[in-house]
Amino acid sequence: MEYFILFGVFLTLMIIGTPIAFCLGISSFATVAYLGLPPVVVFQRLNSGVSLFTLMAIPFFIFAGDLMMRGGIASRIIAFAGSLIGHVRGGLGQVNILASTLFGGISGSAVAEAAAVGGIMVPQMKARGYGADYAVNVTSMAALIALLLPPSHNMIIYSISGGGRISIADLFTAGVIPGLLLAVALMITAYVVARKRGYPTEAFPGFSKVGQYLVVAVPGLMLIAIIFGGVRSGIFTATESSCIAVLYALLVTLLVYRSMSWSEFVHSTLGAVKTTAMVLFIIGSAAAFGWLMAYLKIATIMIDFMGSISDDPLVILLLVNVLLLVLGTFMDMGPLIIITTPIFLPVVSSFGVDPVHFGVIMVLNLGIGLNTPPLGPVQFVAAAVGKISIWEAMRSIWPFYGAGIVVLGLVTYIPALSLWLPALFRGN
Amino acid sequence: MKVWLLSVSRVLGRISTLALWLAGIGLVAMTAVVAFQVYMRFVVNSSPAWTEGGAIMIMSWFIFLGAAVGVREKFHMGFDVLLYVLPDSALPWLRGISDVFIFIFAAGMVVYGSELAIRFWSTTIPVLGLPTSFTYFPIIVSGGLMCLFIIERMALRLSGEPVDTASPNEITEV
Repeated sequence: MEYFILFGVFLTLMIIGTPIAFCLGISSFATVAYLGLPPVVVFQRLNSGVSLFTLMAIPFFIFAGDLMMRGGIASRIIAFAGSLIGHVRGGLGQVNILASTLFGGISGSAVAEAAAVGGIMVPQMKARGYGADYAVNVTSMAALIALLLPPSHNMIIYSISGGGRISIADLFTAGVIPGLLLAVALMITAYVVARKRGYPTEAFPGFSKVGQYLVVAVPGLMLIAIIFGGVRSGIFTATESSCIAVLYALLVTLLVYRSMSWSEFVHSTLGAVKTTAMVLFIIGSAAAFGWLMAYLKIATIMIDFMGSISDDPLVILLLVNVLLLVLGTFMDMGPLIIITTPIFLPVVSSFGVDPVHFGVIMVLNLGIGLNTPPLGPVQFVAAAVGKISIWEAMRSIWPFYGAGIVVLGLVTYIPALSLWLPALFRGN
Repeated sequence: MKVWLLSVSRVLGRISTLALWLAGIGLVAMTAVVAFQVYMRFVVNSSPAWTEGGAIMIMSWFIFLGAAVGVREKFHMGFDVLLYVLPDSALPWLRGISDVFIFIFAAGMVVYGSELAIRFWSTTIPVLGLPTSFTYFPIIVSGGLMCLFIIERMALRLSGEPVDTASPNEITEV
């Protein structure tokens, strides 16, 4: 009965359209009341769930991403990417993907990336005769690269949800190769589709021009080294490096590019407050929900259930992947990581899957869910920028989904793609 | 009645804006505090003890203030599956039911947040030296604001004001 209340109330409220944070909070509240536990426990969890120093990296990275987007760092990176590979078949599509990869190295938010890169690239692509659906799909799928490359705050959420013992530095490093692999897979797809549709290429501007664009983009690109180097070497914690990212973004946009006005700064700050308040409020209520799931021993039930289906880790990973893909279509990434990690991590761990490896699988898997209706926030942004409906975008997204699923399969079944690089950095 | 309601609504709008600005100042202050911590650790080589706890306290204020503003400005992310199948006239009903539940949870934040604040009055937060109760003030204030904003919206809805929109006004997400 208590299981029914927890999940039943949650699902019912979600279907009515209640904001997810409240669905999680109210279903926990109802279950606690039914079990006769003191209700304060829900609100204590709501508070303690967000009172973590590690979580602070999320507001900082979101703030830094917003500053970089408005302050012209993104547009300079795009200009550099354009000069570098605009002449390849599928020209601006390739530029879009390369720019997303570079910008993804300094911002961990797929939505910020779809807005930043898509906002500049999609109108250009449409003007050059690319189909709006192609432009939107390239943008929304390329934005997922940001989730895998450091600094990905979803990796931080995963680390916290896994009990805080999974190294953030390892998770950041583990995402690098899968992120680049996704970029390559999307570039190939963009190439093939562009060839079939006969899309134009841009003229190569010459190496001196590429060099000029690079010089202009370098102050922004330096952040990749600062964040990754700082966290990887252990000089900074993830939170400290995210704070440095904010200061650095301010420095570059105010002093180097001089492109940040006071009103834009205010806009950035209030925008970041809204986004982070929403995200972290969900995290807090998901912490209450997660506490109840632990109390009800749902992970143990799940392990027994999965064990009864198969004892082959490959089958279990396939099952978990399918479940996560389904859940990801109608729920948002952050809360899903918090809710499903305590359930699935013990399951896959009991089958010998490395927690760092599983983190990469989960982030990529749920990332694809950000591009699936009915709840696909990244797709919403990209489609809004391209001024087409989600359904128009859906008609031709399949090759790009295909690329994403292939990469997910590779990442799932070749652990070395995720684990080789962190091991290399640890020196063993 | 309606004139009075709309003027109350304007006041609440100002309170909401104020809360949003306070939260924004909080974000900037938090950046400054952590930056100070990094500076002290790497340049001066002595870590101040209060920065972590202080930054966390600021963070919980801006999260919960922002969350309250989110209730009024409707930027909390939800999922409108029933609206695909039901006629548009169902929208105020669905939103009304949702609002009742949000109100219950927000009231819980006030009641149980206060209970926690009272219970932990005599213990102190290590390093900061404040009563542990301070940890729970953001929940109480946020829950209180949410209750006010929900009552406002319910009253406006009942008086026939257009308060309901289909999807979130703004897409903000991780």
